[in-house]
Amino acid sequence: MSLVGNEGDITRYRLVVVGDGGVGKSAITIQYFQKLFVTNYDPTIEDSYIQHAVIDNELCILDVLDTAGQEEYSAMREQYMRSGDGFLIVYSVTDTQSFTHVVDFYNQVLRKFQKTLLLFSLRESFPVLLVANKVDLLHSRKISEEKGKETANTLGVEYIETSAKEPPLNIDAAFHKIVQIIRNHPVTRGIQQRQRQQQRQRKKLRKMLHCIIS
Amino acid sequence: MNLDAENSTQPTLQLWGEEKTDDSIYIIYLKKVRYHRPMKSISDSQDGISHLEWEKVRVKFIKAGTLEKLVESLTSDDGELESTYFNIFFTTYRTFATPEKVLTLILERYEKLVNNELDLSEEVTEQLKKSVVVAIRVWLDSYPDDFRDPPLHTTLQKLIFFAQHNLPDSELLVKAKHKFQRLTNENISVVTDGYSMFSGDTSLPFNAKGCHIVPYNLINISPTHFAEQLTRIDVELFKRVIPHQCLGAVWSRRDKSRSTEAATVLATISQFNAVSFRVMSTILMNSDSKPTERAKIISTWIDIAQELRILKNFSSLKAIISRLQSLPIYRLQKTWQLVPKEKVEIFNELARIFSEDNNQWFQRELLIREGTAKFADTAGENDRHLQKIIQRHKQNCGNISHGTVPYLGTFLTDLTMIDAANPDYLSGGLINFDKKRKEFEVLAQIKLLQGAANGYQIEEDVSFTRWFDSILILDDREADRLSYQIEPSNNNSCNNIDNGFSKTLKYRNHTKNDSIASNSSGSSYQFYYDYFTDSIHSSSHDSLHRINSFSQMSSSSSTSSVNSNNTSNQSASASATDTSPARSNFSPDSYIIRVTIETDLAETDGIVLYKSIMLNNNERTHQVIRNAMLKLGIQGNPENYTLSQILADKEFIIPHNTNVYYAINTSYDPNFIIRKKQSSTKEECQNNARKIENVLKVYVLT
Repeated sequence: MSLVGNEGDITRYRLVVVGDGGVGKSAITIQYFQKLFVTNYDPTIEDSYIQHAVIDNELCILDVLDTAGQEEYSAMREQYMRSGDGFLIVYSVTDTQSFTHVVDFYNQVLRKFQKTLLLFSLRESFPVLLVANKVDLLHSRKISEEKGKETANTLGVEYIETSAKEPPLNIDAAFHKIVQIIRNHPVTRGIQQRQRQQQRQRKKLRKMLHCIIS
Repeated sequence: MNLDAENSTQPTLQLWGEEKTDDSIYIIYLKKVRYHRPMKSISDSQDGISHLEWEKVRVKFIKAGTLEKLVESLTSDDGELESTYFNIFFTTYRTFATPEKVLTLILERYEKLVNNELDLSEEVTEQLKKSVVVAIRVWLDSYPDDFRDPPLHTTLQKLIFFAQHNLPDSELLVKAKHKFQRLTNENISVVTDGYSMFSGDTSLPFNAKGCHIVPYNLINISPTHFAEQLTRIDVELFKRVIPHQCLGAVWSRRDKSRSTEAATVLATISQFNAVSFRVMSTILMNSDSKPTERAKIISTWIDIAQELRILKNFSSLKAIISRLQSLPIYRLQKTWQLVPKEKVEIFNELARIFSEDNNQWFQRELLIREGTAKFADTAGENDRHLQKIIQRHKQNCGNISHGTVPYLGTFLTDLTMIDAANPDYLSGGLINFDKKRKEFEVLAQIKLLQGAANGYQIEEDVSFTRWFDSILILDDREADRLSYQIEPSNNNSCNNIDNGFSKTLKYRNHTKNDSIASNSSGSSYQFYYDYFTDSIHSSSHDSLHRINSFSQMSSSSSTSSVNSNNTSNQSASASATDTSPARSNFSPDSYIIRVTIETDLAETDGIVLYKSIMLNNNERTHQVIRNAMLKLGIQGNPENYTLSQILADKEFIIPHNTNVYYAINTSYDPNFIIRKKQSSTKEECQNNARKIENVLKVYVLT
């Protein structure tokens, strides 16, 4: 249940994709990953949702958790929220209800960070990106860009418009932007550094033990 | 558990290619076939000659086709029923056709056979007729719901009409008539009969029974009995799940206002939620009771969870575990401290089963190993307690076997993903049957587990059910409130923040000015500083560094600006300096980058020739190289080149298949260089050699 983890020198980011059922979460995730395995996609394989990416000259591993299809199970949301470093909250611009639920998802992210938040004692930003999906459906669009941006502003998060239909719009952008947000985020930065420090200490301890035993 | 023999990649099966016609696409494999009993060779000349030991035969699988073609494929060329295909087709066809349409096509085919319209040998025609009848009969037996379509049961009537004419004395006719009779009776009794199970009232029951006094109490029931009763309910619901309702096209694309579409799936989720909500309410209600009592309740749920693990009921197990992990429960530190250490350890071991790591690898493994096994026997290396418990259980009641109730959600996600990843139709409007094969692999697992679930033999305890239904439940908000009432947060500012936040949401207008930037006031730095020096015990140097990084963040508007020389493209240059995430509708973000190619000439002249190209935020390495080559007038395969950004004192090579827009270092000029790969020359040599070989072959042949 670790936050940003390190594998060697490569940082691993757990990105959680949330949002109502039917907003096209799965399409976004698939669109991002399918570039790698166009021919034979198997969702049950261990590393189905892991991808290497270079962001701002820095190699990293993106580990995406998208539980599309499980929206109606209660308590699940909270469970997988706990494991995320960054969150894509997705709504469909054609579905008003999915838009109103954005706040609920945001609240859930907030809860995860609550402990750190309290110590900051200020209204802080969180590693969250608000994703307005299905913008290709011009005619059935119900939530305007202004409305989306306004909510993003209120929540203090960034906003992006996407479409997973060919040709895709801003799909890579969404996943890479959230990594940039995490990297610039003071809370995760702190945790990242603390983790590195702990790891270093652990390594030292192991070395010491090794010396003692041998 | 891979039931789809067709899809399993045996080493003897080798992909050969595709075969396309107007109404179908086939995938052709070459299959190595060994001859065990060699037949006498046709030319029986010499005895000593060695016979053929093996041979490669063509095997073809339909990848896509029209509905007619797909129905035709139920039988092979020689008229036999294709049983694997039959299973895949009838498990999945509802996403692309109605039962009536499929039946119509099958019957039409039969009539064509009768009238000899198909230009086939008599032998094959007879075999085909037989196979078609078998297909209908098995369909009727295996998927009775397909013939329900109330109130008139037209599909079934059609079948009866057909059978009366073509097969008057057949078993099929008897079966169909019998079925019709039953459905008609059902129509009469449907009002009083069992569909209430799925009518939606199982969700979150908060009913009048609540005021009844029932002799049950969570702590007094034996955990074994509790777990068994939960399992009994789960097994009932799981066995009733109609697998194809789990398909992405049905489940995740359904219209939520119509609850009937995936009713059997919804019923299992309702039960999951019912358990989950009861875990929460039993712990949080009676907020004035003693912490020890509350800890006792948590322990009891852990005991029940442990029994569920033994029973291999992963559905209710997950319901309990995930709820115990939810914030209102998990944050009750004082209560958890009173839970015996051993129980907490067991809880952690059970929680590990549902770890999301590596795409739920542990849970998937477990299901594969135990899905159809007789009893639970898998515990992780580090699960000391579970190992013991399972061992003890095996010794005590080694012969009692039961099935498995899976957590259906994992399947639902897999199917949703398969649905999103594969189009329903391929070019030319052919039904993508390959997608159905993939979906069938998942549905087959569900079916297999449903079969295994028959192994459970649990008697219903009516008073338990009544008591269970009567437990009050809380909604999330209420749960939060109670949780904080039981154990107020240590930090006094907690409630302020909490309220503060909900206010910001309620009165949006008040918060408009309260942007992130305004948080970077002096006092907030102070907090930030305090926090890190306090909690990390790091050196002051480190903290200072972080403060810097934080101030960088609040003035982030400068971080991703890239100077672009080309001002002709207004939108591109504007978007490059603007950091607000949604820049322009429908034109993805872009930079202008400058590229050059490494050549000997350029270096000797001392002049670097750059060309400007647009870089969109969805372009990967090979695409950018291709664009650059086009602009620079270089021919060749982009695969043979690398792309690097030129930094002050070094270069950064952009790896293969990387989104270049995000990979570049924005604190430097966007100058790039493309280079021929060192290794590519080798490859090219090989390619050339191959080409020469081919040319030579042609020469030899002609």
